[in-house]
Amino acid sequence: MKNRPHLFIVILLFTFIFFSCHKEKPIDPTPITTIDHGHIVFKFAHYVDNQPAIWDSMMYINAALNHYMVTNVQYFISNITLHKSDGSSKLITSKSIYYIDSDIPSTLTWSVSDEIPIGSYNSISFTFGIDSVHNISNIFVNPPEDGMFWPEPMGGGYHMMKLNGKYIDTASVVCNFNTHIGKGRVIVGSDTTMVNNSFTASLPSSSFTLTKDATKEIEIIMNIDSWYKTPNVYDHNVYGGSIMNNQTAMGMLVQNGFDVFTIGYIH
Amino acid sequence: MKIEKIFFTGFLIISLIDVLTSCKKDTPLTPEPNTEYVPTPYTIQIPKGYWPTQLNIPANNPMTVEGVELGRYLFYDGRLCGKTNDTLMSCGTCHQQAHSFENGIGYAHGVTGIQTPHVMLPFINLVFNNSGYLWNGKVEHNNPAYNTPTTYGGNIEDLCWMSVVAPHEFHSDTNHAREAIKNIAIYPPMFEKAFGSKEITFKKISMAIAQFIRTLISSDSKFDKSLRGEAQLTSSELNGYDIFMTEKGDCFHCHGTILFTTNLFYNNAKDTTFLDPRDRYHVTYNPVDIGAYKAPTLRNIALTGPYMHDGRFATLDAVINFYNEGLIWSPYVSPFMTHLNQGGDQLIQSDKDDLRAFLLTLTDSTFIHNPAFSKPADLP
Repeated sequence: MKNRPHLFIVILLFTFIFFSCHKEKPIDPTPITTIDHGHIVFKFAHYVDNQPAIWDSMMYINAALNHYMVTNVQYFISNITLHKSDGSSKLITSKSIYYIDSDIPSTLTWSVSDEIPIGSYNSISFTFGIDSVHNISNIFVNPPEDGMFWPEPMGGGYHMMKLNGKYIDTASVVCNFNTHIGKGRVIVGSDTTMVNNSFTASLPSSSFTLTKDATKEIEIIMNIDSWYKTPNVYDHNVYGGSIMNNQTAMGMLVQNGFDVFTIGYIH
Repeated sequence: MKIEKIFFTGFLIISLIDVLTSCKKDTPLTPEPNTEYVPTPYTIQIPKGYWPTQLNIPANNPMTVEGVELGRYLFYDGRLCGKTNDTLMSCGTCHQQAHSFENGIGYAHGVTGIQTPHVMLPFINLVFNNSGYLWNGKVEHNNPAYNTPTTYGGNIEDLCWMSVVAPHEFHSDTNHAREAIKNIAIYPPMFEKAFGSKEITFKKISMAIAQFIRTLISSDSKFDKSLRGEAQLTSSELNGYDIFMTEKGDCFHCHGTILFTTNLFYNNAKDTTFLDPRDRYHVTYNPVDIGAYKAPTLRNIALTGPYMHDGRFATLDAVINFYNEGLIWSPYVSPFMTHLNQGGDQLIQSDKDDLRAFLLTLTDSTFIHNPAFSKPADLP
């Protein structure tokens, strides 16, 4: 009997101990259905004439018979989407706009952090560059992406691509070229229309099956020579080194872009 | 009974301790009170607008108010060169605030009269640079030469010891510099406030100076004010901006972004032969970098002549004329020089005048008069 008050205190204390942290316990989450998933790693490669590009070597001849070399290429892809045969798709959201720079090796491998639902995919597509909704100035403030800005006097936003190199002109002189694609201006009479110049690239032969917890490595190749080939034969002698104010030239390149990207391997 | 009480009391105490500490993991740790070393964190104020948020501050040298202040003293203290009073030289001797922290006259001469191999680059906005320091960018975090036990990781800290030992600068050694500073009464307490100990090492000297240099942010030019709606560019300046920002002048590919530099390296068609052992090629050994140098910021460009790595152009007009009609072909010229085969931009005179007018809007008078960046009044 004497100890009863003590016993009461002990019980009270235990109660206090057990419930003292109650407020910090996580609330039981609503049970969710888990979907098995795997992962994807993209590798980016740059080819000329079906071989890995050899930079800074005047060894290539384009469809217009310009001898040319490429120094580097920088570009964005966005809205990367994996399509299933049942019509469903997985949009990569962990990074909606991805920057690739041949001078920065780390950009040539992208370990996508999205969890990709398992299953059979029959194609991959992406926006080359940044679509018109998102191509807004100052969304990137840090290097290297900020260096892709497309100046305000030319419409703002970002370069879709900077492909830099040199070619030999009709006078046999080595000239510089900047195959730069971004917002273009179409002037008809007193009307000016801006063209964003992004486009959707659908990759042929891009089917694969992703199994639970597996990682698929997918190599995406930019075939640089294809920019200058089909359907428009692009002659550097005609368009010169600077085309940022030349929507005719950029428009031709966009049309040529449909077969620029292919799959190297998926394994 | 007594034993029971002892047990009970012990149990009670333990239980109370348990109660009081059971949530410890969720409460912030209270640091041990240290009345002697409580530095005040210094936060870099990123200017209004679309400035980089990625700052180049090494993890082992966090910015503190005390470190920055010590760095300012050391930056301007001529005794750091370790010489006698008649040959005092500090960082500030050549890196002058009035000239955007370069000397405004071209090649500098060290304490023993030896000329620098290049003219200076201004010490502004370096905290935003992640692409290597100096004209060839060799001081970079991933350069193994600056990741040794005796170097500081390829950052501004390394520029400090390099200045001390370079024959064309202090022509001294770090021990002399450290001893000189140790013997000045004001410093031990300042080191204690900045680093927690009165012990003075050259590494701490470098860390403090680097902290100060990282505060040198220039962002209040007329151009900046126009972006903020506080000033209006003239029609001439606006036309110059258009020339700068289109392929007409094609300045922006190398001098673009809010920093007015990409901080990258280009051969800009000045020469046909390239014998400088301090160009970018001698860092990368990639032939594409032969004759290439860092594109300097154009902020405060009116204050930082003469121009180019060798100061060959005395005036801004000379630079504009060079880009307009003086480009020289070589196999190493950057592809960005798209007007190369026409000799340059071929602007008419009024456009050149407008381009210069725009460049003059990049002068930041607030910066060059900011007392926070000036020599402390009590230094000799």
